[in-house]
Amino acid sequence: MGVALDHPSNFMTTKLRQAVNWGRKYSLWPMPFGTACCAIEFMGSVSSMTDLSRFGAEAVRFSPRQSDLLLVAGTISYKQAPILKRVYEQMAEPKWVVAMGVCASSGGFYNNYGTVQGIDTIIPCDIYVAGCPPTPENLLSALVQLQNRVQHEGLDAVKERHSDSQTA
Amino acid sequence: MNVYVPILLVLSIGVVFSLLFLFLSRALGPRHDTPEKLTTYECGVPTRGSTNLRFYVRFYVVALLFLLFDIEAAFLIPWAVSFRHFVQEGMGVQLFIAMSVFFGMLVVGLLYEWRKGALEWE
Amino acid sequence: MTARPLEILRERFAADLIESSDYLGDASVTVRRESLIDVLRFCRDDSRLRCVLLLDVAGVDWPGRKERFDVVYLLRGLDPGCRLRVKVRVAEGGSVPTACGLWKSAEWHEREAYDLFGMKFDGHPDLRRLLTHHQFEGHALRKDYPIEKGQMCYVPELLLTDEELSGGAARVGYGPDTVGLSDADEEIQSDFLPVNIGPSHPATHGALRVEALLDGETIVHSRTEIGYLHRCFEKEAEDHTWQQIIPYTDRLNYVSSLTNNVGYALAVEKMLGVTVPERAQVIRVIVGEMGRIMDHLVCIGANLVDIGALTNFWYFFNAREWMYKVVERLCGERLTTSYTRVGGLYRDLYEGFEDDLTLALTKVEEGLADVTGLVQRNRIFMDRCVGVGVMSAADALSWGWTGPCLRASGVDFDLRKVAPYSGYETYDFDIPVGENGDAYDRILVRIEEMYQSMRIIRQGLERMPDGPIQSTDRRVAMPPKDEVYNSIEGMMNHFKLVFDGIQVPAGEAYGFTEGANGELGFYMVSDGGGHPYRMKVRPPCFPIFASFNSMMKGQMVADAVATLGGLNIIAGELDR
Repeated sequence: MGVALDHPSNFMTTKLRQAVNWGRKYSLWPMPFGTACCAIEFMGSVSSMTDLSRFGAEAVRFSPRQSDLLLVAGTISYKQAPILKRVYEQMAEPKWVVAMGVCASSGGFYNNYGTVQGIDTIIPCDIYVAGCPPTPENLLSALVQLQNRVQHEGLDAVKERHSDSQTA
Repeated sequence: MNVYVPILLVLSIGVVFSLLFLFLSRALGPRHDTPEKLTTYECGVPTRGSTNLRFYVRFYVVALLFLLFDIEAAFLIPWAVSFRHFVQEGMGVQLFIAMSVFFGMLVVGLLYEWRKGALEWE
Repeated sequence: MTARPLEILRERFAADLIESSDYLGDASVTVRRESLIDVLRFCRDDSRLRCVLLLDVAGVDWPGRKERFDVVYLLRGLDPGCRLRVKVRVAEGGSVPTACGLWKSAEWHEREAYDLFGMKFDGHPDLRRLLTHHQFEGHALRKDYPIEKGQMCYVPELLLTDEELSGGAARVGYGPDTVGLSDADEEIQSDFLPVNIGPSHPATHGALRVEALLDGETIVHSRTEIGYLHRCFEKEAEDHTWQQIIPYTDRLNYVSSLTNNVGYALAVEKMLGVTVPERAQVIRVIVGEMGRIMDHLVCIGANLVDIGALTNFWYFFNAREWMYKVVERLCGERLTTSYTRVGGLYRDLYEGFEDDLTLALTKVEEGLADVTGLVQRNRIFMDRCVGVGVMSAADALSWGWTGPCLRASGVDFDLRKVAPYSGYETYDFDIPVGENGDAYDRILVRIEEMYQSMRIIRQGLERMPDGPIQSTDRRVAMPPKDEVYNSIEGMMNHFKLVFDGIQVPAGEAYGFTEGANGELGFYMVSDGGGHPYRMKVRPPCFPIFASFNSMMKGQMVADAVATLGGLNIIAGELDR
């Protein structure tokens, strides 16, 4: 579709890529898939003291259609897993996933019959934020790290990263 | 005629920008449709039943009322903006009466609806 | 007080009691299966017992026994305030008559027992799994179910049956004379729209699911589902030592972790018979009340956001950040604190704690003043909340409500007054009680409770005694280092505590505190070892959410959302 983006080696496409990535990284609209304690710390992050909107992530949308960043904040149980997968699939590209907290990253200290041992067993994940729950500064640092990654992505990077979702 | 040129300019800039953004998203944004992505969003759960239903009639009534009063507000605003100018020219009273007649008709309509219960949800 | 219920039951049901005990002051009887309902009805209706609250139904698995499962009914009366346990034994594949006819809260409690153990309840209207998913095989809390055996769920469960969806009004027992349809609309009947207000939704505050059938905006029929945050607290508890469970208790009602920590520590100390020093008790009261304030800040803030008043959320979170500063310096963590230990506390108050806390409380008061100014006499807010989500006192008790929601319905019941612990009887505070039991009352009761908590904290700070913060009881506390190095008893004691953990004598007890949401109870069974044999948490918001379905019938979606916010359903506690 549109511009041929497979070999971004000339000046125009490089500048275009930088401009687009600049726009994308400073307007990462999160969808907080908040289930547990990390969601409370996420609420703390968007509140007045540590303000996520300084980083462009203010427009918190609870619909996957209107957001770029799936912020999985909290433990995902096996019951919740199909919901998470479907919500992830319903998000439009470009999309990124941040696993906030140890429960989302690896199951945390819940190694039992109910807890998914890390959301990357279900969906591809870009950034893992450690902490139980991570402090708002921790989350902000993760967001900045994600922004740096977004800046250096190719325009077609999404296809490589989320290639698993090509299989229906 | 020259008075309308700024309006035309604003209109065209608006149209150009909207089309530009749409085109840009189309060109630069990745598009990767999977069957799951095209499903309806219902909090992560597959939808039940069809949405091709007969909707509750009150929704229509509320929408209709909203439309009417919104258009009334749309008429009020340019009148309010230029009112002072007309007062200076000495036509203030005429304009006020003209708007009052318009407004009065709509108020009568509102009172009628109120009595008839169109503003109640149940 | 507690000896009497046992005498009364022994007198009345002498032939039906298999066993009775009064261990640690908790009256407990084991009855025959056939007489279970009679005993329960007697406990509820007898004027001397009047156990109007069915707190919980717990299952316990004794695989060595022929009748493998114990089903334990935890009952409480408000006035005269008696508390007792009625147990019945059932074999694998066996069943127990349901108590749903006596208390409405039995419905979900029994579903949970069925889900986790497998015993059936005869006559139960809807015996399905509750916490684990519908594709789960086996019963998780049985001793032979391995803790790490996870089972993926591939498809979310369909809650409303196809029958209910296609049959429309006739199937769900809804006619033109019930709320929602006026005469004029009878001619233009609309279809019912099935809508899923799912686990991924901002207004559900976590992971709750409601599948509703809507007629316009009115909810005609609905089913709720929980278990989306089932993190297996109870199974993990069987795998950890008594002290190691404390971080898991933080994550029950995660907005008020301090209160949960205090509740758990008190429960274990009850079983051990350990008393903590005076200073630790006062500090526990202070941090317990801090937890309560923090919980109410989130609850009211989130409730107001759902109604549309976003500003209040920021004001309250600002106040919460000031509290976080104090909590972080005290416990090392903002949210999940793990502050208490069995026998005392993690560490003592730091230098300057009193000034910091006083400053934080003034910020909370500022936030409260801002919010009450914006909201309390606000026409829109009152229209949205007055008369919405009404729960009468009698219904609330039948549903097992406790805490601020029960008090908003007009029942003056607070465990800090009825069964005081940690010296609460020496503090001067009031219990706000509502009148109508609607969403407005719930918010105001919580606001007033915050003021009362601040009062308690200030009294606590004034009377703070000096002294140790850890009990010197050798069963829970490490001996001092010079004893460890210089005496064989000290060294053995230290060794045993580090390697085996605290050993709690065999037996069972029910420890309870007034959590931020209501009665947070821990029904614990010990087999004498370093791990609990069974740890059943009585979550205060579980029976509250069980009643949500019936509260929502006939309400509009917006009203349902306004009600849900005020109930303070925290999924960590609800699902454990």
